[in-house]
Parts: sequence; structure tokens; C-alpha cells
Amino acid sequence: MLSGTAVGNICNVSAMLSRESIALAYPAISVSVWVIGLAFAMLAGGIMGLVVSYPALRVKEEWFLSMILLVGGETFRIVVTNTPQIGCGFNGLAGITTPFYWLSSYFPSGPLQAEVPTGLYAAVIVALALGCFVFAQKICNSPYGRLLKSIRDDKVAAESLAKDVSRVRKQIMVIGSVMAGLAGALYVYYIGVATPEDYIPALTFSIWVMMILGGFANNRGLLVGTFVITMLDRGSLVSGILLQSYLANLNPNLIVYGRYMVEAVILLLLLVFRQKGIFPETRIKTKAYTLFDFKKNNNAEPSNSPGEGPQTGGAASG
Amino acid sequence: MTDENVLRVQGISKSFGGVTAVDNVSLAVKRGSITGLIGPNGSGKSTLFNLISGAEKKNPGGSIEFEGRAIDGLPPHRRSALGLGRTFQTPRLFTGMTVLENTMLAPRGQKGERPFVAPFRKRWEGQEIELAKKAQEQMTRLEIDKLYGKLTSEISGGQMKLAQLSTALMEDPKMLLLDEPTAGVAPRLAQDIFQSITDERQQKGTTFFIIEHRLEVLFKHVDTVFVMHQGRIIAEGRPESIVKDKKLIDAYLGS
Repeated sequence: MLSGTAVGNICNVSAMLSRESIALAYPAISVSVWVIGLAFAMLAGGIMGLVVSYPALRVKEEWFLSMILLVGGETFRIVVTNTPQIGCGFNGLAGITTPFYWLSSYFPSGPLQAEVPTGLYAAVIVALALGCFVFAQKICNSPYGRLLKSIRDDKVAAESLAKDVSRVRKQIMVIGSVMAGLAGALYVYYIGVATPEDYIPALTFSIWVMMILGGFANNRGLLVGTFVITMLDRGSLVSGILLQSYLANLNPNLIVYGRYMVEAVILLLLLVFRQKGIFPETRIKTKAYTLFDFKKNNNAEPSNSPGEGPQTGGAASG
Repeated sequence: MTDENVLRVQGISKSFGGVTAVDNVSLAVKRGSITGLIGPNGSGKSTLFNLISGAEKKNPGGSIEFEGRAIDGLPPHRRSALGLGRTFQTPRLFTGMTVLENTMLAPRGQKGERPFVAPFRKRWEGQEIELAKKAQEQMTRLEIDKLYGKLTSEISGGQMKLAQLSTALMEDPKMLLLDEPTAGVAPRLAQDIFQSITDERQQKGTTFFIIEHRLEVLFKHVDTVFVMHQGRIIAEGRPESIVKDKKLIDAYLGS
């Protein structure tokens, strides 16, 4: 158990500085701590996912589940915020450097010194995100994807087809949570501080807007939704600061926090005009369709409905 | 110990609040038979099916045996995994999925339904194509093959019935509980559905237990009929004898 002084030792400024100097001097430690950190985050995420899958199995409506998860997440955040023994409480744990921080000693002081390690790390994040995306695409376009959609649509009917709904729900909660754990760890190493204040409920709603914007059950659409909202988020932050130097009277908060209003307007417009998102749900692309699409093409019959015609690869963008 | 009955129900009941929907029902369904279950609306037929399939829990007491094994303690998916399939009176299809996806979902033991096999397409694609061929035959027989790419929320009520039957048959069940398979279907197609059922029984020895209101079609194809009224089985017999049964006529006309 951590004593009060030990906590002080982790959280104070000199500890932060010594973490940074160790990261600078020992590349092997820096990278391996990062790898271990990611592994533990994924493990912790998986365990959390498994734990929360139990209430998930008990609720009948998905909306109740989202409420349970949201409340659970908030509870966890508030506990962490007010418990200095866990991750230094409200202030968070600072002085977390990217795994490539040591590269900066190879560059003369200047912009490159900071940008190269960060840029390289950003590339690693993009590569891992791409890996997750490919994994998600592959499991969605498979019999497993069919299974997931069937449980979403009608749990009772899925059970009547011998599908073990509880088991699948547990699996997918764990898979999703492992990915979330990975994302969280990558993020912390990127911004350099682990603080519970980064995970306020507003984040949940931003992600929700990303999903509604992109369209449900459409991974490509989700990518677009994520891009739009993230650009809005980062763009408002950067432009708020940049504009300040041109317009002396401008309150940058107006722009930085104005993004929430823009998000709200996007959400409202979508809920009124496009409940299913901008991009339609995609068909599960397995070879099963080739049999039918081929037959249909040979007979040269007119398409039943233009929206549902055969799609061979390519995004079904609207 | 060979049992000619694939399903044996012994003294089961179901009450909702004060209403007894199924009242101490006992019956046995012969292996490989086509057995009918008829009775007026609200007589407890669908509830009986729900108790057998596990969609609803019976009152304490009584037993349900499938293939000589007590199944009343098993959750619905385990009962279905033993080969006891069912359809619903109001079709319960997966409305966010196409007719083909619905049909392809049904078969048990799909390799690609395991999350860590699913990303490796080569490991399940062979099976997928085999199942797709079977699905195509099935759908062609039921005349819904042209609807393959339609979402099941976009098709008519009759087509939904057919899509549901197609899905249920894809499971290759040992016994299939069909809840009004021809309701909302054109008369000619109703004949075809029963023809498919008879063919299926012929080819695979599947047992069918069917709730149906179209008695003229049902009676042409069934071996035995149970008549249900106010939660009880009031008659059992061959269709020709049931037609002459006064109790049945009373039950339908209301005495």
C-alpha cells in the first residue's frame, strides 16, 4: 500500500522531472515501459469490460445499459479524482513522455527536437488505430458480424436460433473495452498526463455524435464522424488561440467551448433529418452474396431497389 | 430404450397474473410426424409453444422432455441447440439485416461465429459458400430468392413469414415448432409452404408441430391434430376424426 509520502514522491514536480530524464537517458526502459503500459491498459480494459457485461446481460433495453455505463464511468472518475492514491487524484500523473522521447537528444534544440518524437509516436498511434479498424471491419464482415447484428435486432429470436446471446455480449464488451484501454493508454502517452478530468461525460456525448454522424453499423462512416468531430474539437482549440493574437478583444473560450454548441446543432439536425446517420448501414460483405449477385447479373434483371443493389467493395456512401 | 415420441410434455401450466393461459397440458409428439395444434384465438397455443421453446417459463411442476431429455431447466438457446427450432406468430426477423443475412444466420456451428476466427476469412469462407448454396436452394423453394438483398423491414408480411420459415429450416432442426406459418400468405403459397414442410419431413425426417388456422390446408398434411381450448387439450386424433368431433366444433363456434 502506498503511504502518503510515497504518493507525494510519485506526484510532485521533481518526480515528474526525474521520469522525463529517465525516459531521455534510457531508450530501452522508455519503450518497454510503454509496451507494458499498453498491455496492462488492455488487460485492465478487458477486465472492466467483462465486469460491466454482467449488468449488460440483465437489462432489456440498450438505453438502460448506456445509462448504467455512463453512471459507472462517472462514479469511477469521481472516485479517482478524489483519491490521490490512484493516479495522483485531481492533478493527474504528469511527466509521461512518448516512447520516443529519447530521440530528442539526437536533434539540436529547435522545433525538430520536440516534433520528431511526437510525430513518430503519432504515426504509431495511427498505425495501431488502423489495425483496430481493420480488425473491426473483418469481424463485422463475417458470420460474427451477422451474429452481432441479430442480437442487436432481436435477442429472443437470436436465442431461438441457438445463439448464446450472453456469451456474445460478453465477448464484444471485452473486445470493445480492450480497444478502449489501448486507446486510453496511447492517448495518455501522447498528451503526457493521465488525469481523470480528460474523461468527463461530455466525451461520451462527443463520441455519441461521432457515431450518429457516421451512421450506425458502418465503420467507414464512423471514421468520417470521428474525423469531423475531432477536427472540430482540435480545430476550435487551435483557432481560438491563434485568433487571439489577431483580435485582441476576442475571448478564446467563445471558440474553444463554442464547439459544444456546434456539436449540439449537428446532433439536433441529424436527429431531425438523418436518424440513421449520414452513411447507411452496410450489408455484411461475405461471399454468400456473390452467388446471388452473380445470378442476378446473369439474368440481367432490374435491381429491386437502387439502394440495396449489389455492392462489391467500395463504401456505400450516400 | 427407443422412444417414438420426440417431444413429451407432462402436466405443464402457465398463468399470467390470475389468468391461466396453459392449464395442465400433457401431450406427446411422434418422431417424424407432422402434428397440428389448433384452437380458437386465446386458447393458449402460442403460450404452449413459448413454454416448450423456453421463451417463457412454465409454472413450477410438470415436465418437458425433448428426445428423452428434460429440457425445462435449459435456457432457450440450449433448447434450440439440441435441435428444437421454432418460428413466431408475428415474424421475428432481424430487421436491420437482409433476407439472405437472416437465412445465413441460422445454421449452428459456423466457424466464423467465433470472434477470433472471424478475422481470418480463409478459415470460414468455404463453409460460408456451402451454406450460401443451401440458403439459395431454400430461398428458391420458398420463392424469396429474389428478395435476398432486401432488408426484412422492407418486405411484406407474407414474405416475412416465408423468410422466417426459410431461416428456421436452415437450422436443420430435429423438430420445428411453427406458429401459423401461412398467416398472411397467399393461398397458393400456403399450399406450397405445406408442400415444403412435407418434403422436408420426407428428406430429413424432421418433426413438425404446427399451429395453424387454415384447417383445409393443415388437415391435408398432418398426421395428428391436438385441439386446444381455454388452455387445455380437449381433443387429439387424426384429422378426419377431429373434423367430426363435436367438442372441436363447439370450441370454434363458441358453445
